[in-house]
Amino acid sequence: MAIYPPNKTQKDIDEVYKRAYERTKIIYPKKKTFFSPRLRTLHQISIDKGYLASTLVGIGDFCIDLVAACIAAVKKINRKIFPREDVIHGTKKDSYVTGKITFAKKNDLTTPIHHMQVEFWARTFFGGWRKMSSGHTDEEGVFKLYFDFIEAKKFKYRRSFHFEIHQVEHVFFNQDSGEPRKKVSVFDSFKVKKSDLTGMGYDLGLIQLFYWEYRDDVPIPRVVIKEQNEDAPEYYSEGRNEAAAEQFIPIEIIKDKHLLQIKRNPQSISIESIQDDYPTNLTVAMEREIPGSTRCDYWFGRRMMNGMSCATFLPDEKEKGKYWVKIFGSCDYEVNQEFAFPTVYGQFKIADNGLPLPTKIIVKGQTDAYNKNPFQEKTFTPNDGEKWEQAKRIMRVSSALSSEIDDHFAGTHLNTEQYAIAVRRNVRLNPVAELLLPHLKEVTLINHTADTNLIGPGYIPRASAMTAEGIIERSKDALGTHDWKNWKPMEPISEQHTFAIASNLFWDVVHQFVDYFFDENEEDIKKYWYEIYCMSNDLVNNSVPLFLSEQDSRKWTGEERELNQDRIEYNHLRACFDNTLSRDIINGKKKSISSITKSKNTPAEGDMDNLKDMCKYAIMVATFLHTYVNEHQYEDIGEVLYCSLGLRYGDKEDGIFQPENDYSIAPDLTRATQMMWFSNLLSRTEYGFITRNEEHDIHPYFSKLLLDKKEEFAKLHVNVENIESRTNI
Amino acid sequence: MGAITRGIKGFFAKLYLWIFCKFFTFIIVITLSLKRKRMSHDNGIGAIGRATIVKNQKFPAHDFFEPGQVFDLRIRHASATFLDDAMNCIRSMSIKFSKNEFKSPFDLEMNTGEISLFWSAWSFFKFAQLRKEKYGVEYIEYYKKYPEGLEGAKIALRRNPNSFHDLRYYSKTPFKFKGKDDIKRYAKYRIIPFDNIPETGIVDNLSDVDTGNQRIFPNETRGRNYLKEEYETRVKTQEVKYRLQIQIRTAQDDENPEIFNNMVPWNEEMFPWHDLAVLEIEKTLNWEDSTRTGFSLNNMPKTLGYIPAKSIYDYNSLNYMRAHSEWARKARMFSYKIFKFPRPIPNDDDRNSEDWKKIQKNKVSKFLRS
Ligand SMILES: [Fe+2]
Repeated sequence: MAIYPPNKTQKDIDEVYKRAYERTKIIYPKKKTFFSPRLRTLHQISIDKGYLASTLVGIGDFCIDLVAACIAAVKKINRKIFPREDVIHGTKKDSYVTGKITFAKKNDLTTPIHHMQVEFWARTFFGGWRKMSSGHTDEEGVFKLYFDFIEAKKFKYRRSFHFEIHQVEHVFFNQDSGEPRKKVSVFDSFKVKKSDLTGMGYDLGLIQLFYWEYRDDVPIPRVVIKEQNEDAPEYYSEGRNEAAAEQFIPIEIIKDKHLLQIKRNPQSISIESIQDDYPTNLTVAMEREIPGSTRCDYWFGRRMMNGMSCATFLPDEKEKGKYWVKIFGSCDYEVNQEFAFPTVYGQFKIADNGLPLPTKIIVKGQTDAYNKNPFQEKTFTPNDGEKWEQAKRIMRVSSALSSEIDDHFAGTHLNTEQYAIAVRRNVRLNPVAELLLPHLKEVTLINHTADTNLIGPGYIPRASAMTAEGIIERSKDALGTHDWKNWKPMEPISEQHTFAIASNLFWDVVHQFVDYFFDENEEDIKKYWYEIYCMSNDLVNNSVPLFLSEQDSRKWTGEERELNQDRIEYNHLRACFDNTLSRDIINGKKKSISSITKSKNTPAEGDMDNLKDMCKYAIMVATFLHTYVNEHQYEDIGEVLYCSLGLRYGDKEDGIFQPENDYSIAPDLTRATQMMWFSNLLSRTEYGFITRNEEHDIHPYFSKLLLDKKEEFAKLHVNVENIESRTNI
Repeated sequence: MGAITRGIKGFFAKLYLWIFCKFFTFIIVITLSLKRKRMSHDNGIGAIGRATIVKNQKFPAHDFFEPGQVFDLRIRHASATFLDDAMNCIRSMSIKFSKNEFKSPFDLEMNTGEISLFWSAWSFFKFAQLRKEKYGVEYIEYYKKYPEGLEGAKIALRRNPNSFHDLRYYSKTPFKFKGKDDIKRYAKYRIIPFDNIPETGIVDNLSDVDTGNQRIFPNETRGRNYLKEEYETRVKTQEVKYRLQIQIRTAQDDENPEIFNNMVPWNEEMFPWHDLAVLEIEKTLNWEDSTRTGFSLNNMPKTLGYIPAKSIYDYNSLNYMRAHSEWARKARMFSYKIFKFPRPIPNDDDRNSEDWKKIQKNKVSKFLRS
């Protein structure tokens, strides 16, 4: 196929794109009723479990929901009858409870939990809550809560007092004044016998909290989640679960139906029927109007530049005006022998319309079941007819998988989690908590779900070349190219490079917002600098080593060296990673994340700017960068034959170089429906947007700044209303 | 209405304190006194001499402390609670202005350390409840729960002092002091060596976890009775003199109750120590006379007695409780008559021990057989 389908022009495609986009864009529905099917939490989803199929499960769920609703109602009534008023009872401060709070995991036992909110409560014989004292732990994790001893000894109080450790669950903002309000929950509580209070001090001793602990079982900074619904460091907001359920239930029903059909009557189902059952995505809608509109070179270049892959265009040193896009395939990561994942280099020129047009595609590595040489190369140009079309598909598929693991999972999800953990472990009184928590919340939860649904034994290892081990190793490496320091968005290479232009526009908004926030809160940010110091230490100490720095480069063969140097150069450029910075070396490993401060109590010169930059970066990654790759999944991997995450080798001699209608290389039926389920799930269940501000958890100034640029973003095909405030899907 | 409620509540608080103290004394009588034991200070040595009230008085004049007046003196030094002088113990000095076993116009009971290990009747109850002694290690749980108790122990424990004579003893909880001018005041007392030689036996850098370990050092060469023996020799061979000192503050209407807290020493700049009397020791008493010696906070002039307490949580409830434990002493004296006199602590190898029963066993069995 040529640049455009026969007898069609760019204008035709652009118009069909607009119509298809309007038709297929995701509408967020209204609230459900009590009797609609429900999903208690997002973590219940599974790629192959027929969650809604069984009547028994349905009845069981209804009962559980009923019990949960009753418990919630009782709790609500209880809270109404026995409110916890923020009034200290007693006048004197002549006695105190003391103790020390540290983390609980081995290797973390001696780390104090500083500035943790602690409270001391009594209950009257009639159940009323009476606050005796409140305060925070100091830098050593020690708390000393003074209270009125004689008041506490009064007969009206029950025999047990409650020492409680509180944590900030969510941050909200008054939408008029911008004043933050923290929703605090009890993280842990201990009973203190009234009779043990003797005046003077009472020591609760060492309290070890299993609180935002780093995992030891993966080489990536991840938080331990024992049980997502009951023993997690954080929980989804109610709205998030509801929104997920609304969008997810119909998709789940389709997948369950397909899995049943495949099991009972495989003849009744095909890739086409699977595709037809799911909501029509962008490429399907466009193809229906103009066949070939999404397979032509114009669309290929346009999506490579501004689609889910939002590729980096590296200027060709030999041919002026040309660029290389490099998609690194399986490399030396663990792969299976069912799916191909070749490395693909695409050469592009920028056409007069400002969009890239592919001029050459080099496929490197294994592409059939027989020749396993990882360094074999095949070069194609637009003159190669059908093979050129196949090469484009192969590049799309490799790019989709790479984008899914390197950019989406590692670059945004895991990248955000490492900031979320460091902030949650350390930042509490510093206003930076109010700035960042709304953008860093829930990422750990969705990543925990991804561990099983996306990685082992989830979708990607079943539907692509990568094994679970391979994904973890690859993600760790990918994370090694991400750092806040000196980061800036991708440079646009033409006026049609809408992804890069929009990134820069959003970056400007983030700059304005964060600068404003720092101006407003500078004093307290400096006052609680110790929290930043500890956060920086956690962030750096737990970050992964620099990309490929653990490999012994002296052992590389010539071909490996060439490939790895290409990977380092391209990935550093892609992640805007400044390799010239001196970074901390811990236990012999050069850490990928730069330190924000080395100064314990007050910011040293440049430290405030460092902190600002880190905050800007974390917000940028968790919001715009994640949303971009996440929402484009529905457009770019929402059609099985257009682009899946893997092409099977099949048994033909030329392996994956087959036309789209050869289903022997396409995903099989199960994986086809799972793929559709997966892309729909991830794109459709977004919740928590900056401008919609459903929970009032976004600073109104941020929303306003973004809304002010609505028109500008719209010209770049970005709907600001759809930019998520956090990475939670 | 508020005044009536306060009055009723105050009455019940005092009633509870009274019942609490009586009940506590009853338990002491049953569990210790009738077994010929004191509550804690069994391991001690008595002595007699004289006390001379200083002439040049820098504290408000008081009828009882006439300048230059000489009183008879009976004292007793002891180590609490173990029957082994070489352990890390609180040491005590109790005095009475009389040579009698008990009867006296003025008694004081003092311990080492400027602060104590407990601060009210209720706190003392928890202290007793959480002792959990085993092989010379005690109060582990108490020290964990009560930081001031731990601090008090660190400050008050004395390991292997050269002599009872070297140490400083404090009355800690204040007493009344109503002098000739009839102004209401409070007083604290202490005893220091006359020549103010440096104190020995202070343990530096005692760790939190080790404070409860009062066991003798490994390879300890000092005997179980070394301190009593040293004192006996010292009194025989050299002059043994102390200064009894007093700290005075005027009572205020809006008193902060913390001034009665024995865990909070009074500022010495504001309330300096003044010499009250010189105590001269003439001879030590034998085991039996030493053991018979008893002290009571009731043995004080009314104008110098203990400060009334309002509840079991009142800092003054400690002295109130001491004063109300008279029956324990009487029961002990009674038990001496019934069971014969308790044997002295042998110089044997039963170290780190507080096993009074074991020491008395032979005697008791003999008594029962006879
Ligand atoms: Fe995502």
